[in-house]
Amino acid sequence: MKLLSSAEQAVVNKDFGEIWNTRMARNTIVLVPLVMVLFLPVMYLLMILFVPAGEMNGVDQMLQLLPREVSYFSVKQGMFYIMTNVVCPMFFLMIPLMVSSVSAASSFVGEKERGTIQTLLLTPLSVKSIFKAKVLSCAFLSAIATGISFVVFACVITAGDLFLGMPFFLNWNWLVLVLFLAPGVTVFGVVFMVLVSGRSKSYMESFQTSGYIVLPLVLLFVGQFTGLFQLNALILLIIAVVLLVVDCLLWFVAARSFTPEKLLK
Amino acid sequence: MYAVSAKGLTKSYDGKTNALNDLNLDIPQGSVYGFLGPNGAGKTTSVKLFTGLLKPTQGECTVLDLNPVKAPGDVHRLCGVMTESARMYGQLTGAQNLLFFAQTAGLSRDEGNERAAQLLKELDLWDAREKKLSEYSTGMAQRLSLARALINRPQVLFLDEPTSGLDPESAQAVNSMITDLAGSAGTTVFLCTHQLRYAQDICDSYGIVDKGRLIAGGSLEALCSEIGCRIKAAFRLPEGDSLDGFDAADGWWRTELEREEQMPKLLKTVVESGHDVFEARLVKPTLEDIYFEYLKHQEEAQ
Repeated sequence: MKLLSSAEQAVVNKDFGEIWNTRMARNTIVLVPLVMVLFLPVMYLLMILFVPAGEMNGVDQMLQLLPREVSYFSVKQGMFYIMTNVVCPMFFLMIPLMVSSVSAASSFVGEKERGTIQTLLLTPLSVKSIFKAKVLSCAFLSAIATGISFVVFACVITAGDLFLGMPFFLNWNWLVLVLFLAPGVTVFGVVFMVLVSGRSKSYMESFQTSGYIVLPLVLLFVGQFTGLFQLNALILLIIAVVLLVVDCLLWFVAARSFTPEKLLK
Repeated sequence: MYAVSAKGLTKSYDGKTNALNDLNLDIPQGSVYGFLGPNGAGKTTSVKLFTGLLKPTQGECTVLDLNPVKAPGDVHRLCGVMTESARMYGQLTGAQNLLFFAQTAGLSRDEGNERAAQLLKELDLWDAREKKLSEYSTGMAQRLSLARALINRPQVLFLDEPTSGLDPESAQAVNSMITDLAGSAGTTVFLCTHQLRYAQDICDSYGIVDKGRLIAGGSLEALCSEIGCRIKAAFRLPEGDSLDGFDAADGWWRTELEREEQMPKLLKTVVESGHDVFEARLVKPTLEDIYFEYLKHQEEAQ
């Protein structure tokens, strides 16, 4: 069974082009991954490599976050480990979240704003098919951006590991994050934006709303620095499963609210 | 089977006032039906109901026996819809836009390209096919919208103000295309307009809608006789001359006739009574005359 009919495929292709042609969306899709997986990790790595350990503030508190099995790491190795496993997952998850929500804002709200949604609703495609094609186009785009970002990220971190003489970075946390949490976050970004699109009058307004969904993500990872909890593969897996269940529920609600009458209000 | 049918079709957006009130009509296949009325009369609401973009508050409608609420996709497969608010993609070229809508209508890429090329040539957009829609003039964009509505060779064509914003030449081209479609392809056309002169040229029956209510319907002759509009005989006489029982306006003397056949006798009488007749003509009521007569009656009745 084909995932998409040729008519739905046409909608996906058209959406790809349209999202890419929206400057704000294109900038986000290119710049957010570049900053999150290249610029920030490289800057951090350079800092670790070239700044003497004694001149860094708060190193001792940070090193307390190191798990027991890597307690033998030097200060620089420990700092890099914390960046890779505590800070970077948050940066990395920003990519599927931002890319999917900005794509959905362009695809759903933008189409409404430009007055083209009515024309699309007048095609023989069912509303369900349009919804599916649009959600999948945003999710595909986000998956592509996330995949490429992970490859770039892996290169940067592997280089850091080699410079600092550390073992390869990939662990269960990262596998759960990439294979389960990132897809869950992607779908969440899209369906959340679809729900918001009913209330947003403009693409910019809906894009600003996407800022709210970044907040829980930041709190989750930054919260580890308080020492109250530490995320491991199991916790991340539970979060991913909960998120996927929430995604299914939100998909159902969003699909029900995606009706011509509501879209043309 | 009627091309378009409505029974007690009513739509209210706010639950208080009806944008469309108890619309009943049956439009046979192959006809060109002019749906006339001032702005806010309920024309666009009707098109949205017939094409499944809105759900009726009461009553029901069908297009080729298909219910647009239950089977909107099937209705769209057989229909073409052009409304002012249904825009196309500004970032795509004219040809890309048509290809996209051809593909959503189930045509293959090759079929879509072929059909798009045919329509672009027919609507005089071939030279602009590689231009982005955002660079099109209003008239070109309007013609591209018509091409989009025709991409799936529709059996029923809903056109909401297709000539608004067009220069007379483009309007003429669009109108002749609509007439050709109805004549050669047997397409039923549901034409919403307040450009009455164009409507009279291309429609074979009419519905006049005002404040959400269909106040009259039928052919031009039927509408004319129902409201009591009559043919007039008009004579142009030398300055200072006059005719008893005739109304004078713009240098012409006019009187109502019951039938066209009365004209030769009347002309003879006028000439025999010693008047010099420079010009004589029969003035048939136009759609515009009939339309305003109906609206006037409606206002008086209220």
